[in-house]
Amino acid sequence: MIFHFPIKLCKRAELVTAAALLALVFCAQRTFAQDLEDPQLLHPPADSWPLYHGDYSGRRHSPLTQITPQNVGSLSLAWAFQTNQGAEIKSSPLLVDGILYFTVPDNVWAVDARSGHMIWHYNRPSTQGDHIGHRGVAMYRGWLYFTTPDCHLISLDAKDGKVRWDKLIADVNKGYWTTMAPLVVHGHVIVGVSGDFDNLPGYLRSFDPETGETQWQWNATPPAGTPNATTGGMTWMTGTYDPELDLVYWGTGNPTPVLNGATRPGVDLYTCSIVAIHPEDGKLAWGFSVSPHDTHDWDAVETPVLVDGEFDGQPRKLLMQASRNGYFFVLDRTNGKDLLTVPYGPVNWTLGVDGEGHPIPNPAKEPAPDGRLIAPDEGGLTNYRAPSFDPKTGLFIVDAHPSWSIYFAKPADGTYGWAGADYGLWGKGVIEAIDYKTGKLRWTHEVGPGGSGAGVMTTDSGLTITGDAHGNVLALDTATGKTLWHAGMGVAMQSSPITYELDGRQYIVTSGGGVLFVWALPEGRL
Amino acid sequence: MKCFRILVLTAACAAGWAALQVIDKPVDAAQQSGSAGGETSAPAEASAASDPGATEYAKHCAICHGAERQGDLPGFPPLIGIGHQMSAQQIAGIIHSGKGRMPAFPSLQGTELAALLHYLATSEAGARPTERSQSPGPVEAGDALFHQNCAFCHGRDAMGGETGPDLTQSKIVLSDKTGEKIAAVVREGRPDNKMPAFSFSSQEMASLVAFIHARVKAAAEHPGGRRGVSVADLQTGSVDAGKAYFNGAGGCSKCHSASGDLAGIARRFEGLQLEQEMLYPRSARSTVTVTVASGEKISGTLAYRDEFTIGLRDGQGVYRSWPASRVRFTVDSPVDAHVEQFGKYTDEDIHNLMAYLQTLR
Repeated sequence: MIFHFPIKLCKRAELVTAAALLALVFCAQRTFAQDLEDPQLLHPPADSWPLYHGDYSGRRHSPLTQITPQNVGSLSLAWAFQTNQGAEIKSSPLLVDGILYFTVPDNVWAVDARSGHMIWHYNRPSTQGDHIGHRGVAMYRGWLYFTTPDCHLISLDAKDGKVRWDKLIADVNKGYWTTMAPLVVHGHVIVGVSGDFDNLPGYLRSFDPETGETQWQWNATPPAGTPNATTGGMTWMTGTYDPELDLVYWGTGNPTPVLNGATRPGVDLYTCSIVAIHPEDGKLAWGFSVSPHDTHDWDAVETPVLVDGEFDGQPRKLLMQASRNGYFFVLDRTNGKDLLTVPYGPVNWTLGVDGEGHPIPNPAKEPAPDGRLIAPDEGGLTNYRAPSFDPKTGLFIVDAHPSWSIYFAKPADGTYGWAGADYGLWGKGVIEAIDYKTGKLRWTHEVGPGGSGAGVMTTDSGLTITGDAHGNVLALDTATGKTLWHAGMGVAMQSSPITYELDGRQYIVTSGGGVLFVWALPEGRL
Repeated sequence: MKCFRILVLTAACAAGWAALQVIDKPVDAAQQSGSAGGETSAPAEASAASDPGATEYAKHCAICHGAERQGDLPGFPPLIGIGHQMSAQQIAGIIHSGKGRMPAFPSLQGTELAALLHYLATSEAGARPTERSQSPGPVEAGDALFHQNCAFCHGRDAMGGETGPDLTQSKIVLSDKTGEKIAAVVREGRPDNKMPAFSFSSQEMASLVAFIHARVKAAAEHPGGRRGVSVADLQTGSVDAGKAYFNGAGGCSKCHSASGDLAGIARRFEGLQLEQEMLYPRSARSTVTVTVASGEKISGTLAYRDEFTIGLRDGQGVYRSWPASRVRFTVDSPVDAHVEQFGKYTDEDIHNLMAYLQTLR
C-alpha cells in the first residue's frame, strides 16, 4: 500500500517516466528466471529439454553420459507424479530452469524436476474438439504456448500458469481440433492443426510470441470445394528446424476424403508430404510427397530428423523419416531430393519406387467394396511416437509396428470425411535399428503383441530408452539392441522419453497412463 | 543482494502499476466486478433459500458440477439423475473419499450430508424448469437423459466417446427392435466393460431408447462416419477356387477341416466377422510348457509373456508365473501360421476362401 502514495502525487510527466522505468524493470527482471531465449533453443544446455524433441534437430539424442550400459542396472525411481486423470500422458515434457511442463488434453502441469512437487496446474475444460491426446507445450522467454481440443492457442505465464492471451487457431465447428506442441523459431510460434473427419485444408500458422497476432499461414491444400483438388494435409506433429539453412521442416497428414481418392486425382500435394518452410514468411522452399495419392490414412507427420552425416561418401545435410506408410526416407534437406527410399517392415501397397524416390501406389490396393488386404494397418508402421538417431553408430532407431489390415470403400460411403472403413487384423511392436546409409536393419528387438506406444531416445553413453507393449520401460544397448534394464510401469508408455541433468544427477523421464515416472541412479552411487 | 533489490523494486512497480490502472478506469472496473459477481451468485442463493441440500450443493459441488448440476463435459460429469446410477450410500462414499480428480469431503456429515444426498437424489425436478414445462417428445427427453448419464463415455451423439463404444454401430443396438435389448444392458450394466448399471423408469427408458434409435438413423445419414461392411459386399469370390486354395496352396487343411473344427463355421459367424476370424482368429490360444529348476514340467494355456516373465493357466484354471530367465519354456502358437499367411494371400484368394467358408453351414 505504501507504494501508492508517491505515484498518486506524481504529475503527468513523472507518471510517464515512472511507467517507462517500470517497463524497463519488468524487462530486466524477466531475464533472471525461467527465461528461454534463442541461444538456449539453438544450443540447449544439459540441464534443459526446452523443445518438444529436446533440440531443433529432432534426433532425440542426449549428450549425457552419467547413466551408462555398465551402471544402468541400478537405475531406480527418483519420483513419480500422479496426474489423477483418465487421459494418458502422450506429451513430451519440457524442462526449463528445473521445472517440467507437460500436458494431457485441457491440462498443463508445472512440476519441480528435482522432487516431483507440483508447482501449478492449469485446467481449462472444453466440451468441443477431439480429446484424443496432447503432445505438450512450447516455451519462449517466460511464456508457455498450449493448444486446446477446441483450437485455441493459449499463452500462459510459466511462473504461475496464468493466462496471458488466448487466440483462435482454427474453427472447431468446422471439424478441426488441436493436440500438438507448437515449435518456437526466433520470434515465431508455429502451430499445426488436426481434422480427419471432414474435408478441410490443413495448414501451419505462425503467431507472434508476445502479442499472439497471426504472422503468416501456409496452406497444405487448396480450400474445400476446389474442383479435382484434395483437402487434408493436417499438420498435427511438431516439426524440426535447421538454423543454418533457416528452414523449418514439417510432415503433413493424409488427404481427404480419406479412403476414397476418386474426387482428388493425382499426387494430392501437399498431403502425406515432407515440406521445408521459410519461418519468416511461411513460404514453401520445397516439398516431397511421401505417399502420393494416399488412400490409407498414412499421415507423413513423423519426425523429420535432421542429421549432418556422410552419404555415398559425401558429407551431406540429411533429413530422415521413418514414415507411417512403411518406408524409410533419406532426403537432402537443402533441396528435398531423395537419396534413399526403402521399406522397414511389411509393405504391400506399392508397385515399387519411382526415379525420384516416391513410392508408386498400386491402384489395385486402394480400398474396395469387397476389401483389400493391406500392410501396414491404418496406424502405420510407426506413428507419432518419436524415433531417435544415434550419431556414433549411425543408427536410426524407431518403434515399428509390422501389421496387416483390410480396407473397404464403396460408392455408398460417399466422398466426405472417412468415406470407407478399415479393420486391423494383427500387429506387433518391434524396435528397429536402421542403418541410415543403406536402410538395412542392424538389429531388431520385439516389444510385444499389438505394439508398443513408446517413443525412443538415445544417449551418448550408448543407451536406447523405450518401452514395450506390456508396460515395461526398457534400457537397451544401442549397439546390439540387448535389454540392460527394465521396470514395470503398469501400463504401456504412450509418450517419448526425455533426459536431463540437474545438480550433477542425470534423470530419465517416462510415463505410464497418467503417471510420470522419473528415473536416476541412486544418490549414493553418483 | 542484487536479486533481492530487484524483487523489491518489481513489487513496488507492480503495485504502482495496479494503482495507475485503477486511476485510469476506476468506474469501469467497479462496474465489471459488481455485475459479474451478481450473475454467478444469484441462482445458488435463490435455490438455497428453499432447500438446505441445495445450499450444501452450492457450497461444495457447484464449482465443478455446475450451478444447475449440468456438469462440464468431459472433465466434470453432470449430476442430474445421479440417483439413477448410484445408491445414496455410493454417492456418500464418493463424497467422503473423492474420485479421480474430485477431492474428498470427509467432514460433510450428519444433516448437511443427508440434505445434500436428498437434493442429489431428486430427479431433474427444478433443475431445468423451462425445458420441462415444454413437455418434449420422447427423443428430446431421451437426448437430455443421454447427455446427463451416457454422454461421458458414449459421446454426446452416441457415436463413441473416450471410453465407450459407438452405439450407432453396436450389434445390440442394431438388432434391438422393441427396446428390450438396450434396456437390458442399461439396467444390468456390463461389468466386464466397466459400464455401470442404471435404474430408469419405464418412461425414461423408452425415451432413452428412442434417442439412441434416432442417433442410429442420423448416423446413417451423417457424412464422414466410418461405415460398416455388409454381408452382400463379401460375395465376390468363387467357392470352387476357395475350396482348392483351402486344400492346396493355402495350406489351411494342414490344421483345419471342413467337417471337423470348421463344420458349421458359417452359422457361428457371418460377413466381416467371419472374414476377420478367417484371417486372424483373435481368441485362439497358445499353450506353453515350463520346465522349472527341479526338472518338473508344467503345461497350460499361455496367460502372460514379456521378456521377463512367463505365465500360464494350468489344467485347474490356476494362474502361475516364473521369471523367464530362471526356467526353460516352449510355446506352441498354431495361430502364428495365420501371420505367416498374410504375405502370401492375393485379395482374390481371400475372397474365394470367404466364398468357400460361407458354404460350411
